[in-house]
Amino acid sequence: MPMVGKPAPMFEAAAYHKGKFTNVKLEDYKDQWVMLCFYPGDFTFV
Amino acid sequence: MSAVAARYEEFEALGVQVLSISVDSPFVHKIWDDKELSIIAGHPVPFPMLSDSSGAIGELYGVYDRVEGVNVRGRFLIDPKGNIQAMEVLTPPVGRNVSEALRQIKAYQLVQRTGGKEVTPSGWQEGGKTLKPGIELVGKVWEQWTVADSYK
Repeated sequence: MPMVGKPAPMFEAAAYHKGKFTNVKLEDYKDQWVMLCFYPGDFTFV
Repeated sequence: MSAVAARYEEFEALGVQVLSISVDSPFVHKIWDDKELSIIAGHPVPFPMLSDSSGAIGELYGVYDRVEGVNVRGRFLIDPKGNIQAMEVLTPPVGRNVSEALRQIKAYQLVQRTGGKEVTPSGWQEGGKTLKPGIELVGKVWEQWTVADSYK
């Protein structure tokens, strides 16, 4: 389970970004703040 | 996610990389952006939209609902050292508050900028009163801060 003050679990994922399909690794953003937002699904209402 | 997209410049100004993630494929992300999000936000989604098709990443963060097969709403702020500083997890029917995420980022950045010499009391907003932790402050917070200082 994640815990505040502790390292964020690393991952790699396929992604869509600005018209292209790409791959994203969390570790690529080391030295930057990251806001990671999970949500239930595309085309949901909230 | 359109609310985050619409206010992306504010995240960018704070040096924050936004990543959204759901179990949907990158193909569905594209169509959602093309057909709906870009209309709501006024421009295409500027941040990467990640696909967690197996729910494995959601499992790592404790937000994957195996029965429903989706990730619930979970927002994690990760600092430049790779540590989670804040998290908020909501069930699907209630949306997030982008202003609150930005407030927390500004607060953490202030704390890190001052090396922890300043901390932000309840309800702190940018420019608001901070507290300087130390032995002199023990039992004296009431002299320096009132609820009205933040919740105006």
